[in-house]
Amino acid sequence: MAEPAYTVASDSETTGEEKSSSTFSETAIGIDIGTSQCSVAVWNGSQVELLKNTRNQKMMRSYVTFKDENPSGGVSSQLSNEQDMLSGAAIFNMKRLIGRVDTDPVVHSSKSLPFLVQTLGIGVRPLIAALVNNVWRSTTPEEVVAIFLVELKAMAEIQLKRPIKNVVLTIPASFNRFQLTRIERACAMAGLHVLRLMPEPTAVALLYAQQNTSQNTNTGSEKIALIFNMGAGYCDVAVTATAGGVSQIKALAGSAIGGEDLLQNMMRHLLPDSESLLTSHGLDDIKSVGLLRVATQDAIHSLSSQTTVQVDVELGNGTKICKVVDRGEFEEINQDVFDKCASLIIQCLHDAKVDTEDVSDVIVVGGCSYIPKIKSLVKSTCKKQELYKGMNPLEAAVSGAALEGAVASGLSDPFGSLDLLTIQVTPLAIGIRADGNNFVPIIPISTTMPAQKDLIFTTAHDNQAEALIIVYEGEGKKVEENHLLGYFKITGIPLAPKGVPEIRVILDIDASSVLRVLAGVLMPGSHQPVNPVMGVRMPTVDDGHGWCAEALNRAYGSTLDLVTVHKKI
Amino acid sequence: MSVSAVSISQFSLPKAFQVEDHFTTISKPIWRWRRQGSPASRIRCGKREAGEMLATSMGKNYYELLGVSVDSNAQKIKQAYRNLQKKYHPDVAGQEGHEYTLKLNEAYKVLMRGNLRKEYDASIGETRGNYSSSGLGRTSSWNGPLRPQGLFVDENACIGCRECVHHASSTFIFDEALGCARVKLQYGDDEQKIEVSVDSCPVNCIHWVEKEELPVLEFLIQPQPKEGFGIFGGGWERPANVFMAAKSFNKQTYNENHGRNSRASTVEEEETPAQAKARADASRKINMEAASGLFSRFWQWQNKPFWGEKVE
Repeated sequence: MAEPAYTVASDSETTGEEKSSSTFSETAIGIDIGTSQCSVAVWNGSQVELLKNTRNQKMMRSYVTFKDENPSGGVSSQLSNEQDMLSGAAIFNMKRLIGRVDTDPVVHSSKSLPFLVQTLGIGVRPLIAALVNNVWRSTTPEEVVAIFLVELKAMAEIQLKRPIKNVVLTIPASFNRFQLTRIERACAMAGLHVLRLMPEPTAVALLYAQQNTSQNTNTGSEKIALIFNMGAGYCDVAVTATAGGVSQIKALAGSAIGGEDLLQNMMRHLLPDSESLLTSHGLDDIKSVGLLRVATQDAIHSLSSQTTVQVDVELGNGTKICKVVDRGEFEEINQDVFDKCASLIIQCLHDAKVDTEDVSDVIVVGGCSYIPKIKSLVKSTCKKQELYKGMNPLEAAVSGAALEGAVASGLSDPFGSLDLLTIQVTPLAIGIRADGNNFVPIIPISTTMPAQKDLIFTTAHDNQAEALIIVYEGEGKKVEENHLLGYFKITGIPLAPKGVPEIRVILDIDASSVLRVLAGVLMPGSHQPVNPVMGVRMPTVDDGHGWCAEALNRAYGSTLDLVTVHKKI
Repeated sequence: MSVSAVSISQFSLPKAFQVEDHFTTISKPIWRWRRQGSPASRIRCGKREAGEMLATSMGKNYYELLGVSVDSNAQKIKQAYRNLQKKYHPDVAGQEGHEYTLKLNEAYKVLMRGNLRKEYDASIGETRGNYSSSGLGRTSSWNGPLRPQGLFVDENACIGCRECVHHASSTFIFDEALGCARVKLQYGDDEQKIEVSVDSCPVNCIHWVEKEELPVLEFLIQPQPKEGFGIFGGGWERPANVFMAAKSFNKQTYNENHGRNSRASTVEEEETPAQAKARADASRKINMEAASGLFSRFWQWQNKPFWGEKVE
């Protein structure tokens, strides 16, 4: 067993660095990589400060332009996004594509982007390419994210006059562990060490906890807040109980719906056959789609402040759009998206076992929080008249990440402003395949982290000497409905009738969300594992993860199956 | 599960760790009781030795782990949990806090869910509100031969100054959960120290009482649960004047039950109403038997060097 391989510090492993990071120079910075915008913030010793780029922007577009040999990102690039977008050289929305395979509907909906997203529909990563000098230059979401992380890192290093290594990154709540490894990979490519990956609404929750301690030193009273965060790519909801600077997350819910969906629905509304624009992926097509996208985006922005908007755009291929859209129309064509948002809120409240009347504050952040319909739907779903004020909707998540960076770096503040803590929960259940094709959760959803749980399984056949441990993450009852995280084989089970050997599986998640799976065999009457225990850090699967389970099934059938044992206590 | 394994199988340990109790609690006055060179001088209490943290968490039941009394309500438990998390969560304490936080999480989960808490209470023999002699140190034990008189702290009057604990640390302990001192071991220190400690009490709440009275007083001074009405009530109370209460209690038992009284008051093991004791002992025993096999296995696993940092 390659057990030692997992104790070797990999690029994302939490190692000794953390211990030495208790000095000011090592304060981890907070980074929010949004689908459309990213930002960097840091605890400057007394408060959170957002860093600005050379153009004095706090919010930088999350895109990378491939022009010559050196791609450049939205942090430093002097060219406007709109121009690049029309040439097919700009790659963006990578947060929606990272860690997804080409059978994923989110990938399919990204095919209308003004660059190349090619899918084969067989469960492999899609081909993504930018048009450079009339050649499609392929790239990967990880590479694109890494490029602007490098730029953000350089920008922060110049301003803070110190090398940056540790970061706290915000991530969508709906990201699975495989997607998290892709984000960690991108960070490693950029030379950054991920101290924490924080679901976006939990970062907002930490900021809320800080605001509440500074306003109210009475640590006894507990306040429950619902946080709704909707950006361009993702919509996340969290319910948190806050008291005395401690934010205890009660439940998380999230989905890959966001401003991008609103935009696409609107584009389809403006030009019903907009999907067919990109059939040949020629330069003209790209330009038309780019123009339509820019015009639609502007129209949606306008509809946040006015009730009607006039869209007037010439797509260059003879198509001219001249249309007046009112807010009602916009809300109607996006009804599905809004319904989904409301259902996420209801689900999250349900998971948290909290009633709307227990919620004292409702916080709406993210780029979509400017849309009147979003505000009203959150208010009506939570049965509240008012939303929480006092947070910048675009800066809340990154500010929370910077706070977490300071706390997790071991900083303290004489005024108690860093006397904070966020207690996270698992956004998805984790378990293994057993009892046939069933998913048996070992760590349930919304379990407080760090968590360690164990379950005993046994053999499915007489004299079964080996067993497969196949680890999944998700909420489905059948394994196919969940994400495969990895698998390994337990060998050397003493020959015995089925049901006799005890196979104990322990899942351990630490505070930085690292998952380890331990498994060993015990025989009745013995307190010692028969063989050395297997300890595997997950996820271990790489691309095309959907295949592995099928291949395992083909190769072994049910011969190495496990069944659950009901506790004998 | 692992947590209860530890707490139950390590029940014999607590004495050695009693001093350490101070380290896991958060009330302010304890600062001066920290040992020299303790983390008191640091800004944060985090980043401790893993060994120390594990040691403090071992041998404790969930209530002791969270530093709350057995009859604490959800609000109290929540607050204690949050305060401890602030100290031991890996975000603050680094990777060393992992094990401890796991235990805290487990304890919190169990105590916050009514049904789980009931089961757990039964398993450790702590029937809430019922008097139990599960050896958790609510009553004093005797050092050396029985003497005609013993020490008793009127916890109603105690202001939590800790003077007595300071002067006679083997005799008195401080109950962090209740915020007052009580006698742990009769004649645990030499007579001079005891005299000094009794005199040092600013509110004169330390009394010499007849040894026969002692068990009754120690029983009555424990907080008893109040009847709850809907979401109100619950909580706990104790007689305002424990000596008066003891008198009427004695009278009652004497009337009801001739002759029992003198026998029941000799040793702390026997002074309890017999039923409660039997019930508590039985359930504890059953649980120990069921748990020890399974849990010790797990614990052995835990101590195996899966990961270098976990080994003490």
